[in-house]
Amino acid sequence: MNAMVEGFGALLSLEMLVCVLAGAAIGMLVGAFPGVTATMAVALASAFTLTMDPLPGLAVLLTILIGAQFGDRVPAILINTPGTPASIATTFDGYSLAKQGKAGIALTASAFASAIGGFVGIAVLMVAAIPLSTVAMQFGSPEMFALVIFGLTMMIEVSGKQLVKGLIAGLFGLALGTIGRDPMDGSDRFTFGIPQLVEGVPFIAVIIGLFGIAEVFSQMLSKRHASQKPITNFGRWWPDKREARQMVKPVAVGSGVGTVVGVLPAVGGDIGGIVAWNQAKRLSKEPEKFGKGSIEGLTAADSSSNAGVGGSVLTTLALGVPGDSVMAVMLGSMIIWGIQPGPGLFSNQPDLVYSIAGIMFFATVLTLGLSLLRMRGVAKLLELPNRFLWTVILTFCVVGTYAVNSSVFDVGVMLGFGVLGLLLRRYGFPAGPIVLGLILGPLAERNFRRSMELGGLESIYTSPIAMGLLLLGVAAVVLPRVRARMKARRQRPEDSDTPTDPPVPAGASR
Amino acid sequence: MLRLAAVALAGTLVMTGCANRGGSDSGDAENFPAKDFTLVVHAGAGGGSDLTARTLAKELEADLGRSIVVENRTGGGGRVGLTYLKDRPADGYSIGFIPVEVSMLGHQGADIKPEQYTILGQVMNAPATLSVPTNSPYQTLDELLAAAKQNPGTITVSNSGAGAIWEAATLALGEAAGATFKPVPYDGGAPAVAAGVSGEVQAVMAGVSESASAAGNNQLRVLAVLAPERVTSLPEVPTATEQGVDVVIGGWGLMGAPAGLPDSVKERLAAAVQKAASSESFKDVMTRAGNTPLATSPDEATQFAQSEFERFGEIYR
Repeated sequence: MNAMVEGFGALLSLEMLVCVLAGAAIGMLVGAFPGVTATMAVALASAFTLTMDPLPGLAVLLTILIGAQFGDRVPAILINTPGTPASIATTFDGYSLAKQGKAGIALTASAFASAIGGFVGIAVLMVAAIPLSTVAMQFGSPEMFALVIFGLTMMIEVSGKQLVKGLIAGLFGLALGTIGRDPMDGSDRFTFGIPQLVEGVPFIAVIIGLFGIAEVFSQMLSKRHASQKPITNFGRWWPDKREARQMVKPVAVGSGVGTVVGVLPAVGGDIGGIVAWNQAKRLSKEPEKFGKGSIEGLTAADSSSNAGVGGSVLTTLALGVPGDSVMAVMLGSMIIWGIQPGPGLFSNQPDLVYSIAGIMFFATVLTLGLSLLRMRGVAKLLELPNRFLWTVILTFCVVGTYAVNSSVFDVGVMLGFGVLGLLLRRYGFPAGPIVLGLILGPLAERNFRRSMELGGLESIYTSPIAMGLLLLGVAAVVLPRVRARMKARRQRPEDSDTPTDPPVPAGASR
Repeated sequence: MLRLAAVALAGTLVMTGCANRGGSDSGDAENFPAKDFTLVVHAGAGGGSDLTARTLAKELEADLGRSIVVENRTGGGGRVGLTYLKDRPADGYSIGFIPVEVSMLGHQGADIKPEQYTILGQVMNAPATLSVPTNSPYQTLDELLAAAKQNPGTITVSNSGAGAIWEAATLALGEAAGATFKPVPYDGGAPAVAAGVSGEVQAVMAGVSESASAAGNNQLRVLAVLAPERVTSLPEVPTATEQGVDVVIGGWGLMGAPAGLPDSVKERLAAAVQKAASSESFKDVMTRAGNTPLATSPDEATQFAQSEFERFGEIYR
């Protein structure tokens, strides 16, 4: 208790307030800028914060991360382009909601869900860090492989009714994931002598192309059908009682899933958001709405990727092992400041842990406030005539993608995938499974092949966690089909559901 | 507000991109430096190489009186950045951080050799360390080597990735000791150390900076440092040489420029690099990050890179 008072007390200074404000402003801007990720912003900022004292320095870095995870929702909802990978799943429902004239509610709901998710993550960090971190250590290569396979079953849900096309898209994503250096023997695979491909297809460029650029291209081409603006009106800003009640369950699911995924080493908010979206869909009473503008889907995804921040900070502090790529950068700074993350930190410097939790709490409250305040300003952006709006979006995407690696090659990849994304949606292929395949494929391969090196197949089937996850994966594929068949036998179905297709907004394909 | 700020951000990005395009290209040694510098780093912002380069850049700026724009050209395990630096004009305004990969990639199918660069000096060493989980039965390097000799290829040693320096270090240690390990590549240095902490592998080959913090937490036991002498962050850990295995290997960093730099420019830059690398603030950051700061002459550093190039040729033979 004393440590808690001391830890929070250390934050009560003007310097800390300035640091958090600066971090929040930088973070929200960076987040809203497609291509510029939180990892990059934190890495660049860490060059400046190294000369500061640890606490104010951490305040800047942590707040940038949290601010970015609010800011990135805005382009995801309004222009179908994830601001950072953490908001990939936000686009699934957020953009559809905006298209239906509910952008106001989508932005508000997303901000609150993100904040609540963040609070849950912070609470878990303060209460259950040590026990949870031992769970994280149980996840070796075989367990990670099983988890990723379980994750791959999501392709089915994300494909909705267009199962075959979704699986084709998913296989394409998996194939893309094989490009690059062989993870075990180091030889080049399918790189055609292009050095930029040795570390794999540039992931950020692919998602910006498939989601954002494809959307802009699609709107440009369909201009003659109707002067179709991305969003014509924002609708109400505040959700009504019914909608607020609808959010309770998905936010709870999202926060839980997000914290757990965040705790696992080296897995970030992008995967957390997608997993939570999928779990919320499975548990929802209205799964058919997911991907077509479901508030439930939106809030599940957003609460999850922000709960993940608490989770990955937990792993980083309690184990000294980075919870994701942003935390890897922060861990570097902490070591130079002389902070030694690891099991000892919680017993030797509990006040520091509380200070960190306090910074995160304060940063979340502040960014939530800022998000709600500046929403109407964001609205102005979309009142631009199309020709300006498209130019602005394209410029942002090009500059952002170039900035990642200072690489024109990446910009080319982005535009190429923009064209591909356009073709895919014209022919009714969902883009979500491609991204899933590209994220999860390499993870599955690496962990499988590492397991084979370490102990062969035995290391997988003798691990209870791995087998449990694999069985869950099988159940996730089989059960809904069995249930659907039983239901069909009992009654002739009258539901002629249109295909669920998350990344393609309703009405965009014709 | 968002729009304004976003435009400002876009503007800043464009400006930093263009900042060093201006100025005349006259290689006038008298007026050197007449414009701002670009410092190419092969790795992403936030990593060890980036930290070294940026800390050094701050000191260099003070000495040279010009701005230094750090450009991260990542990809291909260093190939992209090193190729980019090699092809820049040799006028002294394009300098770069040159990592150990300059001596390795040539043996892994890339057209990269130390002689393609004008080397200005070595600024740091990141020695390799061999560690085991705290509950491992092996207490000393000898015991671990004995086990590896008894059952060749069964002792698993994690490293940061296929083709990376720590994998080569595992091979080099095995070669020097006459033992065979089983290197297991992970997706970065931190996951490799985590695999050792959780006991998934029997040993970890990693840089001092990574293993020292795990050792401080009592999560790993460091058996040997593969450096010429003991390092400050692990003062009680003996070197491999002390334990009878003659192997010194690890990551390192040089400062350099494209080959063919005019002599006067080279001298000016080398002096600046040496001064920056000897500064207290640079040494302080390097030591705290677990690396060994150095400030060698261009000739020493050139010879060192060449001998390392030949050595990796042997390892990858």
